[in-house]
Amino acid sequence: MEALRAKVAQLLKEKAISGFLGLKLEHGHPSPFLFTGEEGLDLLVVSDTRFPLTKLLQRLTSKYPEEKFGVMVRGCDERSLIELHKDNQVNLEHLVTVGVACSQELAQRCGCKVPYPSQFEVGEPATGVEGGGELESIEGMAEDERFNFWMEQFGKCIKCYGCRNSCPLCYCSECTLEDSFLVPPGETPPKAPIFHLIRAFHTVGRCIDCGLCEEACPVGIPLRTIYKKLGQVVSELFGYSPGKEVEGRSPLSFLGEKPFKEQG
Amino acid sequence: MNYRTVLTTCVYCGCGCGLYLEVLDDELVGTLPCKTHPINEGGLCIKGWSAHEFVTSEKRLRRPLVKKDGHFVEVDWGEAMGRAAAGLGKIKEERGPQSLALLSSAKCTNEENFLLMKFARGVLGTNNIDHCARLCHASTVAGLAQAFGSGAMTNSTPEIEEADCILVTGSNTTEAHPLIASRILRAKEKGAKLIVVDPRGIQLSSYADIHVRQRLGTDVAWINGVMNIIISEGWHDKDFIERRTEGFEELEKKVKEHTPERAEQITGISQVDLRRIAETYAKAERASIIYAMGITQHTTGTDNVLSLCNLALLTGNVGKRGSGVNPLRGQNNVQGACDMGCLPNLLSGYQSIASDELRGKFEVEWGVKLPKEPGLTVVEMMEAAAGGRIKGMFILGENPLLSDPDINHVREALQRLDLLVVLDIFLTETAELADVVLPGVSFAEKDGTFTATDRRVQRVRKAIEPLGEARPDWQIICELAQAMGGEGFQYKSPEEVFGEIARLTPIYAGITYPRIEERGVQWPCRSEEDPGTEFMHEKEFSRGLGKFTAVDFREPAELADEDYPLMLTTGRSAFQFHTGSLSRKSPSLRRELDEAYLEMNPLDAGELGVPEGEAVKVSSREG
Repeated sequence: MEALRAKVAQLLKEKAISGFLGLKLEHGHPSPFLFTGEEGLDLLVVSDTRFPLTKLLQRLTSKYPEEKFGVMVRGCDERSLIELHKDNQVNLEHLVTVGVACSQELAQRCGCKVPYPSQFEVGEPATGVEGGGELESIEGMAEDERFNFWMEQFGKCIKCYGCRNSCPLCYCSECTLEDSFLVPPGETPPKAPIFHLIRAFHTVGRCIDCGLCEEACPVGIPLRTIYKKLGQVVSELFGYSPGKEVEGRSPLSFLGEKPFKEQG
Repeated sequence: MNYRTVLTTCVYCGCGCGLYLEVLDDELVGTLPCKTHPINEGGLCIKGWSAHEFVTSEKRLRRPLVKKDGHFVEVDWGEAMGRAAAGLGKIKEERGPQSLALLSSAKCTNEENFLLMKFARGVLGTNNIDHCARLCHASTVAGLAQAFGSGAMTNSTPEIEEADCILVTGSNTTEAHPLIASRILRAKEKGAKLIVVDPRGIQLSSYADIHVRQRLGTDVAWINGVMNIIISEGWHDKDFIERRTEGFEELEKKVKEHTPERAEQITGISQVDLRRIAETYAKAERASIIYAMGITQHTTGTDNVLSLCNLALLTGNVGKRGSGVNPLRGQNNVQGACDMGCLPNLLSGYQSIASDELRGKFEVEWGVKLPKEPGLTVVEMMEAAAGGRIKGMFILGENPLLSDPDINHVREALQRLDLLVVLDIFLTETAELADVVLPGVSFAEKDGTFTATDRRVQRVRKAIEPLGEARPDWQIICELAQAMGGEGFQYKSPEEVFGEIARLTPIYAGITYPRIEERGVQWPCRSEEDPGTEFMHEKEFSRGLGKFTAVDFREPAELADEDYPLMLTTGRSAFQFHTGSLSRKSPSLRRELDEAYLEMNPLDAGELGVPEGEAVKVSSREG
């Protein structure tokens, strides 16, 4: 924690950044805050509570495109920044990331493969969690059973949009989930499975598997399992893992030389 | 450049979710769920996620308004306050305090409700103060108080997921209280049995182990029928009844008359289903009853509530974790508005105005004589205004023109007044009829506390400065009271008001702002050492013994006949709230649902030849 505070204090003092987006412990709860001066840094904390900091960062960078910001990043946050950079939503050159390695407990809770960013100031790298979580057991179901499972899960949805609102990669100014021709407005649960499948398809080639969507879901729909499956397919077909490398673009964001897979 | 998040409590329903208002360069830009909050644990419904949207609506009132020659004119605060104070003073002088009436607001803070109650009783000298709880859960307050001695949700929201059986009736929980519904679904996934008794198929009923549809208004009959089965099978908790209750013999006698055959005949629920409900509920270790308007908004609302209390007492399902009788209160602070004594017969903490001792305590603290006779309820006020007996009204953040039954009657009543003063943040349908409109502020612009449906007193924190010339409601009430010569209204902050609430209100006595800094405290909390009360009536009921009340089935006051062949009942949508005063100013909510709609059984619709989406004209005996 002290290492983080010292690092941020130095960045602010040297004017390397105009502000640092991190977590502030106030009223007993950690929450996002932009630290702009050295005073108040004693409230800057590292915590197992996660917020979509890189999503909130976009509010700041779009209002102040010329300013440089610092941001606290975990492994997942860093992956989201890489993907956002490729989509021209943030400019990595205008950002200074300060890395935090997650605790083993948090890594376990998140089922995170790489629970640390490429460089970090705080924490010890925890062991990554392998496996697809619930995915294996769901894939083991017979087709009817699997369909019923998902329809029952989607039937719980209260259409809060929390999955979208928490997703660091959901940045569209017009959201297809609000297209009244595809999803009739004003219904709970929203039309199933179309509502959830639209969102699933829009995560393809972008989802960095942070799981913030599931954390925000009040009714516990295992959304990440679907996105994970799609991630596997993208990885197998195109050899692409969102957020992994700054080079290369998501296969669905451009038409390459061979946009279609050869038959046979 | 500044960006911060301000922890506060949601302003929509009574769940009491913790959320952060995002403030960028002193402007509200978004809402985030509090991830570590005991109620919502990082989730929110769509209303919560968009709670910031209405705050900065261009329709917000930014300056005081006074009606001149039938039109509103913007005036300065001095003129508006002068007119309100002089007008109320004149009516009090010439017609007496009983010709004045006040409506308080279940959207405002505890501090504001308490101050309005103090202003009504201590300055205007009338007990004519009430609020919209009269039209929703007044029957709950009456029924639960009679049976248990306290009129509030017995257990806590987080405990719901510890239940083995949940009986949901008259609550469309996923729509009206989404973050409580999430607990019900979680309990179900952990293996609890879910029983839904509702005339309609609702989202929860597709997850229910038992879903039955009663004929509208026959709740007492099905509950009596279920109790008949429980008693004749010997599934009741004899030990609990013996030790903790009174009145069982009368109940037993009455319930014997309500055979399953008779219950089936009245309610339309088959005897087989009644039996399944009886067995599932009675045999559960921890059974929780959850209800809302579908139980209370009837002419027999109190009977319905008493019947649910009987059922819980009969099976010993009250006074332990994960059980209880749990009314879900509709507004963010309707629990608090009741707690603060914005009721014609009760002071804060449900202390009777008729009691010389209790009233005397307030008289000493405030240094004034208080009226002893109970005042008028909302419904009686409107009656009295229409009849010319009420001449002046003060309405705080409430829209009776839409929320009361029989709006033509309410409009006539309000139009007959010599003076109507409305304090609100929007020019509501009610405010349009006012002589003076005072611009208050939203939850984002003031400090205070709200009390959630599970008696949890939580902080509301100011995130931005008041818009335009609007002022925090608590300050406006204090200024008006002082303009009318009221003493003891010089508070520096809502915290100071809260201190007075705690001094005068035993169930709040141990609660202070520092204690609820991180997490709310649930009343009753009688001292600084008292941790508060997660679930009530553990060792004994607030009234000592739990009281059974033998209840007879009565038909609703209005039944279908040849001229009016269909029955209409109310419902809820997750996307709009109350009269829409707030939610209709929110773009995200309007995009989902912008107008009210009516649902009809496809068979009725077919007979009438009404296709889906068609406009229909609805008329009742009232108009």
